[in-house]
Amino acid sequence: MLANVCTGAIKGIEGFSVSVEVDIAPGMPTLSVVGLPDIEVRESKDRVVAAIRNSGFDFPSKRITVNLSPAELRKSGTHFDLPIALGILAASGQLSATASGKLPSLLVLGELALDGSLRPCAGVLPMLIACQKLGKTAIIPPQNVLEGQVSSASFLTPHTLRELVEYLENRADESTVKISFVPTEPNEPETELDFSDVKGQALAKRALEIAAAGGHNVLLIGLPGTGKSMLAKRFPGILPPLTHEEALEITKIYSICNLIGKSRLLTQRPFRDPHHTISDVALIGGGSSPRPGEVSLAHNGVLFLDEFAEFSRSSLEVLREPLENGQVTISRAKETVSYPARFTLIAAMNPCPCGNLGNPLKPCTCTPMQINRYKSRISGPLLDRIDLTVNLNPVKYTDWNQSSEGETSAQIRERVLKARDIQRKRFAGTATTANAFMSAKQIKQFCPLPAGADAILEAAMRKFGLSARSLDKILKTARTIADLEGTETIETKHLVEVMQYRPLDRKGVAD
Amino acid sequence: MNTSVSTQERLARIQLNAFLYFRADWLERLIEIFGSAQEILRQDAPTLAREANLNPDTAAKLLQAAHAINPQEEWDKTAALGGHIYLPEDEEYPQSLRNCKEAPLAIYVLGHLPTDGRACVAVVGTRKITPYGRRVTHKLGEELAQCGVTIVSGLARGIDSEAHAAAVRQKKPTVAVIGTGIGRCYPAENRALEKSLLEHAGAVVSELPFNSPPNAFHFPRRNRIIAALSQPVVVVEGETKSGALITAKLALEMGKDVLAVPGPIDSPQSGGPNSLIRQGAGVVTSVADILDYIPQQSRFGLDTRFFEHTDITPDKPLEKLSPRQQQVMQVIGTGSCSLDHVAEELHATVPEVAGLLFELEVQGFLACENGLYSKSKF
Repeated sequence: MLANVCTGAIKGIEGFSVSVEVDIAPGMPTLSVVGLPDIEVRESKDRVVAAIRNSGFDFPSKRITVNLSPAELRKSGTHFDLPIALGILAASGQLSATASGKLPSLLVLGELALDGSLRPCAGVLPMLIACQKLGKTAIIPPQNVLEGQVSSASFLTPHTLRELVEYLENRADESTVKISFVPTEPNEPETELDFSDVKGQALAKRALEIAAAGGHNVLLIGLPGTGKSMLAKRFPGILPPLTHEEALEITKIYSICNLIGKSRLLTQRPFRDPHHTISDVALIGGGSSPRPGEVSLAHNGVLFLDEFAEFSRSSLEVLREPLENGQVTISRAKETVSYPARFTLIAAMNPCPCGNLGNPLKPCTCTPMQINRYKSRISGPLLDRIDLTVNLNPVKYTDWNQSSEGETSAQIRERVLKARDIQRKRFAGTATTANAFMSAKQIKQFCPLPAGADAILEAAMRKFGLSARSLDKILKTARTIADLEGTETIETKHLVEVMQYRPLDRKGVAD
Repeated sequence: MNTSVSTQERLARIQLNAFLYFRADWLERLIEIFGSAQEILRQDAPTLAREANLNPDTAAKLLQAAHAINPQEEWDKTAALGGHIYLPEDEEYPQSLRNCKEAPLAIYVLGHLPTDGRACVAVVGTRKITPYGRRVTHKLGEELAQCGVTIVSGLARGIDSEAHAAAVRQKKPTVAVIGTGIGRCYPAENRALEKSLLEHAGAVVSELPFNSPPNAFHFPRRNRIIAALSQPVVVVEGETKSGALITAKLALEMGKDVLAVPGPIDSPQSGGPNSLIRQGAGVVTSVADILDYIPQQSRFGLDTRFFEHTDITPDKPLEKLSPRQQQVMQVIGTGSCSLDHVAEELHATVPEVAGLLFELEVQGFLACENGLYSKSKF
């Protein structure tokens, strides 16, 4: 006999529906799964056999073939257990006509424990969103209920295989297989990290404010202990709140990676700080069955790379694509997937390998060649994608001990929000979201040079050896500074301030 | 070119010159023993060792090094770059170098060496230059060049490069004695400087075979040539154990005058010059202090205005600056200072200070390194 159960699978961050066809024919007792299953799908056979037996059903001693269609797309994940089990029950005639009749209106997801209870699985949210489009009712494990509530699809959450069958046979009430609405736990308490904790470092704070307002990437260069990580960790606190679409997008990514915690929808911008020994694949995503990497987990949030120069050269080079396009495309022989990866990069590094270059109190013990080699690990094309660079200097005791608090994150955020508002109006109807992502054409349109700026830019080009490409970046950053001030046009003082954030362009810094 | 040396002998000397593990005067002694360089190259190692009373290993290495290079090729490659290889017998070989005890057997020269008797001053120092060293070298270098003195240095990073660059800015000749072979530039970022110093009638000198790599032991060795070509030798900055102090020591052994630029006592880069001063080196506070040591016979044609000792009148150009800019210069003083510090001292916002610093930097009053601003003019 033949049965057909609908389930889902993931490609990139989108779900699509998969139909599980189960055929039971006389012959040697076997269970084979075809249709490009990954290793974890193939392993589901053993779980399904045990779960069916332990739920009080018979496992047919016949030749069972399970086909996952469309057969040409690779399927991975553990959520195929439940649809396969349900298909086997239907195909072996253990479900009544009533129950079988309900199957076409369901989309079934769930991993089975050996005793037949349902276990949570990854990627439920994107598959639910696909399910919603099909107009079906989803069956999901009870532990994934929060994702169900996000999706606004209709869904049921049976605890066990037995419970699900009882419901399909109309022997149990819908209330037994549906968890009533779970109130969202209050969002993780607003981060307690505040900019007012950081003493001194006015220039760096200003640079981060500009970065938050215009979506620019930042490189912090400073002696150890000058507060690079401290500043970076406080950065998400001055970013504008997530919109619903943005939140849904990142929740989907976290759902695929099985990283959703207790909150139903991620409402805080992610802050990812991978260690510098991270592999290229973990950073960018990939693997034989592709998974999102850290850059995608930082989507709509912050990617903080401490000890930037210690990352492997290849890891740094792979960052170029997401920094440029806001997404990562992973090509494998069999498939190509893209993950969104539009994040703000905050990189931090020491000025030299020993960390003391420019320290008035401790001499630097590095040779000029070592310093050069250290700096040259950050390639030009990568630096080109970083609009703001700041040198941090040691904090003086008087600063550290000052009683008056600096500005709070909330005060800074207010200015950032105003600047973002201006940008939203400016870019209405285009794909651009912030000044940092302006195209060459938009730069021409929105960043006219103020009168008298020619002389300044020419002097800067001569003095600092700025390239034409860096001029574009200067204009973008100047636009953001003007937006922070709420002025319509870029003024020369804005351009002049930008020069402060380009110390690496200066000639002769390395020697 | 002197014809007293036959072409064959000339090529043999170039071959012999490639043996770097011997002092040049020992090689000359060998030539005396055997009568000519060609004769040495005809020997086998045991004979050479016996006749010259050498360690057999050393003799073998010497012959190996000499035979490893093709002198005709050296000659042709040097000529292709427009250079020459001079022996001490040649007129073009500088007299001051010939007088030196360890005069190289051959030197490779690009460009024009200063004529004998011309005033040459060595300006040497650390590769890890400080803002102070930069502005001192900048000023002294430019004034020496304006005065008509040829600056001799080593084309290394830091003080050396600044000294050459100062002469090039004045479009005056300068001599670079490099620690690599001709045809190779080290550090590579100085390639443009090397090119422009040649354009301004300067010279690049090396005793090493064509295209030799920058091995560490080449550099102290070439320092004796810098010292030999110059009188006096000025040390601007250098740690207490540095190549600049080696140059100073070699210069003293040759009977040259050594001068040092005093510096802050808490700056490691001024440790070398300060200790030289303690040992009796001349103190440099202006270009006139250097010019005093130029031998009488070399003073012809120098601009006499620079010989007058004048007191330093600090910060005269600052009068043209706006009051706010002057305040910034005062905060920075002779040290170095971050933007945050200036902002705090002036009770100003980051954008305002950024503007002030930019103006001062573009006008050349300040230089910025690693986020620290310091005075760039003397």
